[in-house]
Amino acid sequence: MKTRWQVVGILGAAFWAMALAGASPAQAQKKMSVLTWNIPYFEEGFKKWVVEFNKKHPDIQIERLDKKGTEWSTFYQTQVVAGTAPDIIDIQGALWLEYASKGGLLDLTPYMKKEPELAKQFYPEVLKGWIYEGKQYALPFIISKTLLFYNKNMFKEAGLKDLPKNFDEMMSSARKMTKGEKSGFMTLNFDWLYWPLFAMNGIELLTPDLKKAAFNTPQAIKAVETLAKATQDGVINKISWTGRWVEPNDAFAAGSVGMFHAHAPAFLWFKSKAPWVNEETVGAAHLPGGWSTPNSHSILISKSCKYPDAAWDMLKIIATGEGAYALGTGTNNLTGNIEVNKRLLEYFSKTLPVAVPVLKTQLEHLDKLCGNWPIAKDAEVKEAFYPELQNALLGRKSAKDALADAERKVNRVLQSR
Amino acid sequence: MAFPNLEYFKRDRTRQLFLIWFFLTPSLIIFTLYRIIPLFWNGILSVQFWSPFGESRFAGLYHYEEMFFFDEVFWKVLWNTILFMASAPIGIALALLVAILVNTQIRGRNVYRTIVFMSYPVMTVAVGIIWQWLYNEKVGLINYVLISLGILEKGVPFLGHFSLALPCVILASIWQVIGFYMIILLSGLQNIEPALYEVAAVDGANAWMRFWKITLPLLKPLLFLCFVIGIINSFTSFDLIFVMTQGGPAHATDLLITRIYTVAFKLSKFDYAAAMTVVNFLFFLGLTLLANKLSGGEAGAVETER
Amino acid sequence: MRQYPRWPIHLILLFVSSLMLIPFVWVLKTSLSGENIFSYPPALLPRDPHLFFYVDVWYTIPFFRYLVNSAVVSAIVVAANIVFNSMAGYALTRNFPGKRAMILLFLSCMMIPFQVTIIPAYLITKKMALLNSYLGMALPVCSTIICIFVFKASFEAIPKSLIDAARIDGLSEWRIVLRILLPLSKSAIATNVILAFIWSWNNFLWPLVIIRDQEMQTLPLGLSRFLTVVEDTTGALYAFCIMVLLPGLILFLLAQKEFIAGLTTGAAKG
Repeated sequence: MKTRWQVVGILGAAFWAMALAGASPAQAQKKMSVLTWNIPYFEEGFKKWVVEFNKKHPDIQIERLDKKGTEWSTFYQTQVVAGTAPDIIDIQGALWLEYASKGGLLDLTPYMKKEPELAKQFYPEVLKGWIYEGKQYALPFIISKTLLFYNKNMFKEAGLKDLPKNFDEMMSSARKMTKGEKSGFMTLNFDWLYWPLFAMNGIELLTPDLKKAAFNTPQAIKAVETLAKATQDGVINKISWTGRWVEPNDAFAAGSVGMFHAHAPAFLWFKSKAPWVNEETVGAAHLPGGWSTPNSHSILISKSCKYPDAAWDMLKIIATGEGAYALGTGTNNLTGNIEVNKRLLEYFSKTLPVAVPVLKTQLEHLDKLCGNWPIAKDAEVKEAFYPELQNALLGRKSAKDALADAERKVNRVLQSR
Repeated sequence: MAFPNLEYFKRDRTRQLFLIWFFLTPSLIIFTLYRIIPLFWNGILSVQFWSPFGESRFAGLYHYEEMFFFDEVFWKVLWNTILFMASAPIGIALALLVAILVNTQIRGRNVYRTIVFMSYPVMTVAVGIIWQWLYNEKVGLINYVLISLGILEKGVPFLGHFSLALPCVILASIWQVIGFYMIILLSGLQNIEPALYEVAAVDGANAWMRFWKITLPLLKPLLFLCFVIGIINSFTSFDLIFVMTQGGPAHATDLLITRIYTVAFKLSKFDYAAAMTVVNFLFFLGLTLLANKLSGGEAGAVETER
Repeated sequence: MRQYPRWPIHLILLFVSSLMLIPFVWVLKTSLSGENIFSYPPALLPRDPHLFFYVDVWYTIPFFRYLVNSAVVSAIVVAANIVFNSMAGYALTRNFPGKRAMILLFLSCMMIPFQVTIIPAYLITKKMALLNSYLGMALPVCSTIICIFVFKASFEAIPKSLIDAARIDGLSEWRIVLRILLPLSKSAIATNVILAFIWSWNNFLWPLVIIRDQEMQTLPLGLSRFLTVVEDTTGALYAFCIMVLLPGLILFLLAQKEFIAGLTTGAAKG
């Protein structure tokens, strides 16, 4: 009996030791962590950043973290509550507004003021996108915005020679291309990516002071009714309003959509599923009017960062010069840096020529960006607006009722705490 | 003779009590740390204005007011959750049928048992992706079969349909959990002594009566357990919903649990989510107590004085 | 029971089995051929089967390391579950003051889903200095209320006469549990093992939140990293599903023997 308990005791101790393996001890060395958004394969370039950084700060160790978009905010906010927030973060889209409005991000304006030459390296419209309440919170990381992909074969079959020049032409062209399984138009719908359809019709989401809804107008009702009818007739593929980004990309890859309003990263994605995609068969253009919604990544510093000056140095490495170039080549994207993009376009024209027309659209019409209001409650407003829009577009409610309900809900969100 | 026995009994009794509490302690510690304390954390948070970035002020019942009087989405989600729970008995009944059939002496029962159970170890994320394909309007297997059989002319977008989406999600969830119900009920069926059936058969009871009078009452504790599993399954369906529909279209497939997660981590409103958590907890607790009453109380424990 | 014809039973079970199997056939087929699952019409047999995806997964990520991590965590969870749950289950079969409250407490713990406990659980794990560790990953699921009740129900089904006889013979409580109750509850133990294993093996959100160190990641986490660029609908995803599913299935097949053992013991103890 004694030996049995001894055995249990030893096993238990061994178990315990093994179980505790890996529990992190207290760190004596200075550390800074960088959290990126879904680019785990980006390793070479990251190492370059660290080497460059350590030249100026040899005593600070850099920890690399990366999370997928679906888990990013859960991970980040848990770390914030625990007091170990990653210091430098790459955020996609408008999520940064939530954190900036709650005081979670470092205001970069003082740093920018000290180095006025720095701002000139970036596209002013792009840089402006990360100002909240007069403060600059981020530098550009990877830029992307929406554009119109079109299936040249389907255009030819429908006898269409030119690209549509306005909303009505776009709808009628789409209608001509709709036949059987094929639909003329499709759009991505996450974040505010579909907003250019509204901007084209002169519809504003909110009043200029961002305090009240401004979209419940006769113009908007008419536009929504047009879109709803087109959806019901199959002219606009329903997946536009019910799918994520997987289904629409797959549908375009299957060759059954004439015009696809998506963001630049979608190109490489659907191309990988569709061997028929090349310059002859798929074109890249702007929406009528040049409207687009940006969906860029930005690089920011958490308020809790212990070494803000060092973090700022890292930011500069990432967003300019060789660091930004490595980012572009490592992720097949364009950055927010004007000079670096020139080099990147040269690089892509040699390595990925088919993507160059697509990438070129990303740098044009930067004055026609929409769907990017600096609202702290951006996610909530979208949540209040989009389901009602879905109701109208999928025929559940009349456009008039849906927009009225949406207005009520959006106003409630903007008013409540 | 009674006197010395009483003394002995008393000492023994304290020792027994001590042992009983000692037996309960490890589990109690884990639950306290990882369930009860978090519940209290949520409770405290629900009466505050709180953000992960440091703000923290007393809010009274603001969030509850917001939830009950102004939040249409909350009521929609609550209703969806009720519907989801109402479908649990269907899955349990099916599983019971399969368990009974598999419990007989037929050949190949091991194979059947394994096949039915196989869906449970699959990660819920994977289940969601698979069923999403099955329901796909253009290329899904279900539409293909229905069209081939002539029942439908065109594919139906099941997961994009406002009324069909939730039943479809529920079906996928039952597919996943039925194996779980089955092994629980099976372990119960195997604890019933065959002698009981034999005696009843000799007394002239037919199969139906045997089922109703012997099997069902003896399975009560496990049927109650299955119901509770149904509740937990509604929590696990979290991954299913996020993968298949993200709660759409227009919150048609959003449950309380997915709503709480979205509000907390996507909209960054942890305080409001905490209030919803408290309501979620009380709702399910009430449901469980009701089920407990219906299955005989004390978690349906059976007093076996045979 | 013996006089009934077999074939209706077989028929029903065959029907149910095929319903349960169809999704799997599809997963297996796509993981072997990697077709775009959005091709139409859906075919049942793979067009060019190849094992590329399985090999790909093995080499692209430190598969073995992640496998070991998952195995260690699951081992801890299963062992802890059997010990803790059987103890608690037994305690709940006895009458003691506060029993009602305890049962109510356990039941209410089940109404607290994991997602609402993420932040406090993280803070508690941090306080105990268990972040990034196997024990930290295992602890929240080291005991589950369902399994406690499974043990409870199983113990209660054992005739009281046996237990009383043992008590009169002078056996201590420990001995009663170890020597009499547990051997007769093989199916409950098997159930516990299977469920505890599945829950800890498939656990995704918790390791995601508390592991910062790449080396300590578990298999589902590791595989989902691999799927980042190769999103969703490809053979890689399905190879992933199969590989994560297999251990649980194998365990179930192994533990099935206990079900049969439980059956015969049940017959003997009358």
